[in-house]
Amino acid sequence: MVRSGTSLEAAHASVRQLIAEKLKYLVPMTIIFMVGYIGLTVLAGFAGGLIGTKLIGSVNLGFLLIALNYALSWVLAIVYGRVANDVFDPLAAKAAAEIRAGN
Amino acid sequence: MNITLGIFIVILLITLGITYWAAKRTATTSDFYAADSQLTASQNGFALAGDWCSAAAFLGFTGLTALYGMDGALYALGPLVAFCTVLFLIAEPMRNTGKYTLGDIIRSRMQTRSSLLAAIAGTVVVNFAYLMPQMAGAGVLVRLLTGISYDWAVIFVGVSMIIYVAFGGMLATTWVQIVKAVLMLSAGSIILVMIMSLVHFNPLTLFADAEQKYTAKYLLPGNYLKNPFDQISLGLGYVLGLAGLPHVMTRFYTVPDAKTARRSVVWVMFLAGAFFAGTTLFGLAAANFVGQDAIRAADKGGNLTLPLLAQYLGGGKGTFGGDLMLGFVAAVAVATILAVVSALTLSTSGAIAHDFYVNWVKRGQVEGRQEVWIARIAAVVIGVLAIALGILAQGVNVAVLVILAICVAASANFPVLILSLFWRRFNTGGVIGGMTVGLISSVALAMIGPAMRGADALWPLVNPTVVSLPLGFLGAYLGTLIAGRDPENEKRFDVFLLQVHTGVAPK
Repeated sequence: MVRSGTSLEAAHASVRQLIAEKLKYLVPMTIIFMVGYIGLTVLAGFAGGLIGTKLIGSVNLGFLLIALNYALSWVLAIVYGRVANDVFDPLAAKAAAEIRAGN
Repeated sequence: MNITLGIFIVILLITLGITYWAAKRTATTSDFYAADSQLTASQNGFALAGDWCSAAAFLGFTGLTALYGMDGALYALGPLVAFCTVLFLIAEPMRNTGKYTLGDIIRSRMQTRSSLLAAIAGTVVVNFAYLMPQMAGAGVLVRLLTGISYDWAVIFVGVSMIIYVAFGGMLATTWVQIVKAVLMLSAGSIILVMIMSLVHFNPLTLFADAEQKYTAKYLLPGNYLKNPFDQISLGLGYVLGLAGLPHVMTRFYTVPDAKTARRSVVWVMFLAGAFFAGTTLFGLAAANFVGQDAIRAADKGGNLTLPLLAQYLGGGKGTFGGDLMLGFVAAVAVATILAVVSALTLSTSGAIAHDFYVNWVKRGQVEGRQEVWIARIAAVVIGVLAIALGILAQGVNVAVLVILAICVAASANFPVLILSLFWRRFNTGGVIGGMTVGLISSVALAMIGPAMRGADALWPLVNPTVVSLPLGFLGAYLGTLIAGRDPENEKRFDVFLLQVHTGVAPK
């Protein structure tokens, strides 16, 4: 019983550490895509003139920002996959083992 | 039209073959609802792409871009960005804590009967609001393509969907979606290559030609969504609403672990994202080659833009190539609807049979073998109901229901789900508060808005998410405060948290 109690304590500590790591990466990443995308809809709604600034031939700032949003989502997906694999998974595996030891 | 029918019959035979194969492998409740959680990341990624690209995406985005320029491109981007939210916050915790439904998560977090009822209400309202326009759309599309009457078209789609779901469960539904996703992506690739060869592989030509033909205003925002707050509502609705759509989210139960769930999201982001980006180019090409007048003449809302573009690229009306391309795209559109309505039926049957009947009425006291049969019966009943609603919806403006589905998902389901997973003090009062306020404000504001009342609207926005979403969160917050602190619930959260992040529950 004592052993199981300490093991669960360790699991709680590991998960707290995992959550701290997740916050460190996910808060900025979430802010980036939310600002990128919601910012674009705000500009489209309120700054049509600015959005219409022509940049490359007939392609205007709006279409360029749309293209950048696609690229941003894909880059963030790959970054998240890497970080989850390298940082989150080992911690989650450690916590899982500690929970199982307590069960 | 014979080519369409021919291609469609081939697709139908393939999917029925899949259902026969899947039915033999569907014995347990876990098989039925979650394909026994044995799918791979790429399989689930393709199925997610099949699930998430409804006819509204497949036909609608291209049409919106062709008729309204940039607003169509903005419409198409949201569904990709939405997967960032799902990837970062939802997919892995869902896989780690739930079993078959959204209700499972709320139930294991709160352990109260009333919170389960609230979760069921959210699922059923969203699913039916989504299902009804899909059935009506199917009726119109199949009638247009094959010449059979609207009612028979709806019945045909409904019966096919009942067969897939009731016999083959999640395994058949998944493979129908995979087949559809592969067909959709193939059609998209072929169309893209044909367009590119016409403009000598310089996509900038598409923009220049469109500007010349329809003036610079065409490439500006605001042609479709005139109210700026509607633009923002649309963005918010997509980015947070996807995470509240039960028929998409339950796909994360079909994989064995959080890592596979994560990899399947990356798959769908590249597959569906590439298709969404393609629709913007298809729309511009259609405006240039087919012309807005011809598009409007075929369908006021532009929903036939992609088939018309395919016909043009194939060689034009009356040519074999044109008929073949039209037939192919049209058949894929019908397959798209079939795949989405099947997923909706399966997910609704989870809410009715698993959440309501087994866990609420019978308090979980149902044998596994019996539960599968209850689920199958529920699927048949829901399918019949969907057919009836689809027939009743003929001629009714059902577009408002699509907006409503996403709006309720974002304003009611999303706050409740995210707070259940991440807020320690969140309690049953919060679940009920968030669900009630989110649901009622979405429905009420959509009903008094321009989509329903036209010029007599009492409220200016077609899509009320920008207001109803904060209201949903406020309801969840106030509900939590009113219910008061519950130390036992908070202590349970600490244990729940272990499961959210590791997938292993302490005994």
